[in-house]
Amino acid sequence: MAQPIVTPGPTSPTPRAPRLPRWLFWLIPLALLPLPLYLDQYRQYVVNLILVYVPVAIGFNVVIGNLGLLAFCNVAFFGIGAYTSGVLALKLGLPWWVTILPAGLMGALAGAAASVPALRGVRLFYLAIMTLAFGELLRWVYIRWVPVTGGSFGMSVPPPNVFGWVLDNEGHKYYAFLALAVITVVLTDRLLRSRFGRAFMAIKDNEQAAAAMGIPTDRYILLAFAWSGFVVGIGGSMYAALIGHITPIAFDLTELILQFAVVMVGGLGSLTGSVLGAALITTAPEFFRPFPGFLELLFGVLIVLVILFLPRGLASLLARLHPLFVDRYYRD
Amino acid sequence: MLAVLPQLVVSGIATGMLYALIALSLTVGYRATTVVNFGHGEMVMAGAYALFVFAGFGLSFAPALILALGLLFLWGALTQRVFMRPIISGPHLSLAMMALAIGYAMRGGARLRWGSEVVTLTRPYSQDVFMLGPMVVTMDDLAISGFVLVLMGSLSILFYLTPVGRLVQAVFQSQRGAALVGLNVHAFHAMMWGVGAALGAAGGALLGLFLPLSPDMGVWTLVRGFAAMTLGGFGSFHGAVIGGLLLGVMEKLLGFYINTVFIDITAYLITILVLLIRPAGLFGRQTVVRI
Amino acid sequence: MRLTKIFLTVAAAVATASPAFADNMQGITDKTIKIGNMGPFSGEAAVFNPLNYGPEAYLRYINAQGGVHGRKFETVFADDACNEAKGIAAARKLIYEDKVFMLMGVPCSGVAMAIKPMLEKEGIPWVGPAANPKLTRPTVPAMFHVTYTGIESGQAMAGFAMSNPALKKIAIVEHSNDWAHGYCNPASEYIKSHGGEVLERIAMERGSTDGTTQALKIKSIGAQAVMGCLYQQELIILLRDMQKFGVTAPVIGALGADFDQTVQQVNNPAAVRDKFFQPYQFKAKIGTPALKEFEDMFTKYLTKDELPKAGPPTNFYYFGIPVAIVTVEAFKRAGASPSREKWIAAMESIKDFDTGVLADKINLSKDNHVGVQRMFAVGLDKDGKQTIYSSWGKAQN
Repeated sequence: MAQPIVTPGPTSPTPRAPRLPRWLFWLIPLALLPLPLYLDQYRQYVVNLILVYVPVAIGFNVVIGNLGLLAFCNVAFFGIGAYTSGVLALKLGLPWWVTILPAGLMGALAGAAASVPALRGVRLFYLAIMTLAFGELLRWVYIRWVPVTGGSFGMSVPPPNVFGWVLDNEGHKYYAFLALAVITVVLTDRLLRSRFGRAFMAIKDNEQAAAAMGIPTDRYILLAFAWSGFVVGIGGSMYAALIGHITPIAFDLTELILQFAVVMVGGLGSLTGSVLGAALITTAPEFFRPFPGFLELLFGVLIVLVILFLPRGLASLLARLHPLFVDRYYRD
Repeated sequence: MLAVLPQLVVSGIATGMLYALIALSLTVGYRATTVVNFGHGEMVMAGAYALFVFAGFGLSFAPALILALGLLFLWGALTQRVFMRPIISGPHLSLAMMALAIGYAMRGGARLRWGSEVVTLTRPYSQDVFMLGPMVVTMDDLAISGFVLVLMGSLSILFYLTPVGRLVQAVFQSQRGAALVGLNVHAFHAMMWGVGAALGAAGGALLGLFLPLSPDMGVWTLVRGFAAMTLGGFGSFHGAVIGGLLLGVMEKLLGFYINTVFIDITAYLITILVLLIRPAGLFGRQTVVRI
Repeated sequence: MRLTKIFLTVAAAVATASPAFADNMQGITDKTIKIGNMGPFSGEAAVFNPLNYGPEAYLRYINAQGGVHGRKFETVFADDACNEAKGIAAARKLIYEDKVFMLMGVPCSGVAMAIKPMLEKEGIPWVGPAANPKLTRPTVPAMFHVTYTGIESGQAMAGFAMSNPALKKIAIVEHSNDWAHGYCNPASEYIKSHGGEVLERIAMERGSTDGTTQALKIKSIGAQAVMGCLYQQELIILLRDMQKFGVTAPVIGALGADFDQTVQQVNNPAAVRDKFFQPYQFKAKIGTPALKEFEDMFTKYLTKDELPKAGPPTNFYYFGIPVAIVTVEAFKRAGASPSREKWIAAMESIKDFDTGVLADKINLSKDNHVGVQRMFAVGLDKDGKQTIYSSWGKAQN
């Protein structure tokens, strides 16, 4: 598409809000702490699933939203994280909490690998297809590498263990997951507010201009992919802990569309949006339960409507409520 | 082992004809709008079901097919006009997601109606098998190849011998320029998107001749079609065709001589290798932006 | 306001009930028995939901007869989309919100394996058609197979082929998924341990549009028979392409395809007659008087949406129904005030029980929760007449 040349505007596009302190955001996880007291094992599970999709969505958003590249390989990072965690727990007998960081690192490695085509200048739909192919190739590996992954039957992962404490109750998992979700959100927020985040925005706005201004675009692209892989890999590790059974089919194209939906509905380039999207898209099927056959149709229509009428997702609604929610690391 | 080589090539070409048609249909939409339709697989699927519905009204094959293609042309043009145009200047991601979501909804709709039953089309010809020297060729192979060749022929005439071709070229090179000289670029986009959908639908109809229909029958098209386009060179018409044929043959050779587990990932491997080694493909122009 | 009141009353009732009591009798009232029926009602695997409607038809039939010990069955359906994350949510909803007595169905093995730890922990009974043998081997207290698992079916596939002494060199054509491996791994082991040879395991993926490579491979390695662990569409393609290239080896398919539909869609008698077989889990041919009772049950008690849009109920309906038949039998035996313990004991007491559908009688015990073993095979004889075989060339009855 012929891209209109964008003149970078003034760096603070929104009027300074009557500043509400950012620590207010900490009230959200605090308020969520007593949740397990009120939820049964089903509702708690759904909430835990939301928390799994929080890092998945924010990681995905860093590359497709903030960096603005069409990378379709989020499911690959997700799967790598899940399998790393599962294999370490099952084959080496490591407790789950020890496997979280390796899962993130393997995800980061996969992210670095997936950034190769982007570093070689592949963009737009070419990049989309290539990264898609990358994800599907990995799925092929999960199926074929039977001694490690358990092949198409997948593997059953023991219940997660944190410092010797077995989390066999959804309420227990919740606290571990909440902590991980908060950590990933906070770290990603820090990253995006630093010069790295501003560089991502510059690259997204106009890559040539950013390069001409001396921004080492390659390095930042690599970093964005690796960070995305890291965060999503942690999400994968949480998935393994929550589901307890990993199969290759969980990382297919349908899952990719789901993760896409989380980001689009939540809001491209928005951290708040990622969290909202995770909450909405994960719970939507539960509300549609009485009409299972309609699920795909409704889901598709929902995304179409959001793109048409709410192109910045749910986050833009919040931003209208209060400037505190305006994302300063993203502009169209 | 080498004795079956000619057979593999012939069968590969027959399969490749379908890939070529899909790649061609994707290319038509891409050339006109510079946007890839990520929901193209569902146009293929819808083509097959539309043919089934019209055949169910008691129409014979040819009129049912024409109606089905016409319907998909309208639907394709409509999706471009109603869903893509409002966001055409937005991020590429929204365009990709929009197309994906439309496809997803179409698949859900098809499943709602036909998900639990097996639907088949009836061939308008007899299911014969011919010997071509040592090689076996079926009537299906001939029908598909013949149909695809006729379509390609008419497309070539359209694009190379009529003013339409120059329009496509003009819009592809500069939309603003085309608009400046008085072209209705929007209407043109919608029309070409419709043509792409109709061509994809033709692929679905052909597929339905020898396979039972299913809401997921188009899923393979995106990856195979892309691989063919990439191999032939993105945006090139004859590249798409040759890429499709090569992909068909390569799948057969890799599967037979190395291992059948490679059939399914041939397309992925080709996509990745071509874009890393020679991004322009066989016939395309440079596709990457070097920073 | 009224809702809140009801909620508070229910909450109070739940809070005051003693936990052990509540667990054992969960889902049972004086008038009803609540059953969770879980399966893929959306997504690609939705074609298999007749496996859920088959048992539902039987429960409605029993309800119409007045139920069991005065209680009627109440089904709560839940969609798992054949996806583990959604399946766990569905199972948890059934168990903790709907408070069902037991789960029925769950045809997708991946989902069944994912919910297994939870079922074990909570002691929720399960009976269903998921083919993964690991669900009931080793035996877990509350989970039962009363239909054939991949092991029985895979061994039946291989056993039928090898009951013809001329068939020793066998090729396997399979999807790369757990379903296909669930059939073809046991088949492969059976072949090797019974003096046969597995020449090659050939992959044919879902969504394949062509089987040339596979057919030529079978021909070039000289396979005498083929195990086809394929879904219907790919099985049709393979049969057709084998015929096209003159590959005469017989093909024994797995249970993911409907025999009649497959034959009809191959649309070439020469490609299937005396050539295409499938293990057969039923005692008689579908559509014959012996199974008429069940066909009537399906058409009478299922709604239009639950039945095939055209044609008679397919074999998946029959495949599913034993799940409900045996479950109901156990409720009959468990007496007037059933609990989970009593129901499980009743299940384990079932010996030589004829479901009226399956080829084998049900035999369960404390140590064995796999109810059926013996299968037949179905095929078309040389004249194109559909025949049930007990072994190669030997028609049943």
